[in-house]
Amino acid sequence: MTYLLTSLFLTVCLIFLPHFMSGPYYVHVFIITMMNIILTSSLRLISLSGQISLAHGGMMTIGAYTSALLVMRLGLSTWYAMLIAGLFVALVACLTGFPFMRLKGIYFSIVTVFFSEMVVLITQQWESLTGGSGGIYNIPAPGAIVVTGLFNIDFLSKIHFYYFALFLMIASLLILYAIEKSRIGFILKGIKQTDSLAESIGINTIGFKVLAYSTGCFFAGIVGAFYSHYISAMCPDTFGFFYTINILVYMTVGGIEVFAGPILGAFVLTILPEITRVLKEFMPFIFAAVLIAVIFFLPEGLAGLFSRLIAFIKKIIRIKNA
Amino acid sequence: MLKLKKISVHYGTAEAVRDISINVEEKDVISVIGANGAGKSTILKAVSGLIPVSSGEIEFDGKRIDGLPVNKIVSLGLVQVPEGRKLFPYMNVMSNIKLGAYLRKDKADIKSDLAKVFELFPRLKERRAQNAGSLSGGEQQMLAIARALMAKPRLLMMDEPSLGLAPIIIDNLSKAIKEINRSGISVLLVEQNAGLVMNVSEKCYVVEVGKVVLEGDMKDLMKNDSVKRAFLG
Repeated sequence: MTYLLTSLFLTVCLIFLPHFMSGPYYVHVFIITMMNIILTSSLRLISLSGQISLAHGGMMTIGAYTSALLVMRLGLSTWYAMLIAGLFVALVACLTGFPFMRLKGIYFSIVTVFFSEMVVLITQQWESLTGGSGGIYNIPAPGAIVVTGLFNIDFLSKIHFYYFALFLMIASLLILYAIEKSRIGFILKGIKQTDSLAESIGINTIGFKVLAYSTGCFFAGIVGAFYSHYISAMCPDTFGFFYTINILVYMTVGGIEVFAGPILGAFVLTILPEITRVLKEFMPFIFAAVLIAVIFFLPEGLAGLFSRLIAFIKKIIRIKNA
Repeated sequence: MLKLKKISVHYGTAEAVRDISINVEEKDVISVIGANGAGKSTILKAVSGLIPVSSGEIEFDGKRIDGLPVNKIVSLGLVQVPEGRKLFPYMNVMSNIKLGAYLRKDKADIKSDLAKVFELFPRLKERRAQNAGSLSGGEQQMLAIARALMAKPRLLMMDEPSLGLAPIIIDNLSKAIKEINRSGISVLLVEQNAGLVMNVSEKCYVVEVGKVVLEGDMKDLMKNDSVKRAFLG
């Protein structure tokens, strides 16, 4: 119940927030934050099955290029292109997932890193299709949504992208939450706890892992596609290895155990570098310090900090009442 | 019912078991006894389909099952209680038991089986809301068996259920195994604990370094000097 109220409250806040922002820069920061929240939460869906994927960067790249090329070469509507890009990425994840999922733990992660790097190399080398290292420019913005008399969203201003990102984020989080609370989420958690036992009960563990993998990658594809239309340019290494590592850090810092963890982690760690912009050169160090501090002092992540605080406050209230 | 015909299993190039033949008839309690590393667990894993056999055949009800995927084998009624009482430690007792019935669609039967399982292990009913990881060793073993029973086995395979349990708990365990067998389920038991084996089973196979060295009725085997020396001291 508190969960529901908190999320409703935050949603309302986010809807009215742009009216209080002093410039497009802040809107941009929030758009990127919301993107990162989707990415981190979808990465957590994959990690529910016990596998840490580092393919998100590669999957976003595929999504971004697919959508951009569909629009620019085939003249498809941006909306369809983004959806197709997401589905295409899910398909790629499904096909690569079956061989990848035969590996467990760190070995799986290593293979996904290679996959990501491979995507970068392919987009660099396949110049006739992707434009090579130079990337693609002038990717069109999404088509306007016009309801005569009511509103006209033409994606000429950042605010429109803000609301689009907000919609994407809420929709993604609702879907991810529903999956986690469903029987599928339950089984994934079982697989994470004792893989071989789940198999001996008769659970198709590979199938479920691939399902989680391709669903998680679907969201990465959608976000990649969104990004390419938002920034209107795309380079092969935009979502390189470090981008993926950042998402992993958001997830670890936020806390992997609860649904709110990645949201919190992505929010704090996207906003933090923006606030401390003067220290930009030291950012990797600050990230590393935050990560190490969280691992040492808050094994449950920032989300754990909140539940600890609540427990602490409750304790104080009890002592006062006693 | 279950026939292992000269099966061999390799881990890479290392041979774990060679030319093993075991026969389990309807309503039997068959034991496989042997020291550490003799290949007992390997046999069960091969039957469950968790590792492939390199030669030989495994038949269940006259049909070959080696090479089938694990979930197919489970749905035929061949269910394993893995070694070291593997559980889902961060799920409660009830969820653990219910996941045992994962492949079943018959909701009404699942309910009555749940009641039966709780009758067999009343302790689990008391602790049904507790996390499986917080149970005692004996209770965890009961839970592992309960979960396996929920899969509606026709043949239950147990891998060293007595491992790390106190003698009094092992007594309870043998009562439970007899009870399960009385309800019409065949049991294939892999053990080191000769006491438990003598208590519950009629027929026994003795395995040494991957080969069956002796087989026969429990009573006859107990007269055998080498068996006595090896397992009874």
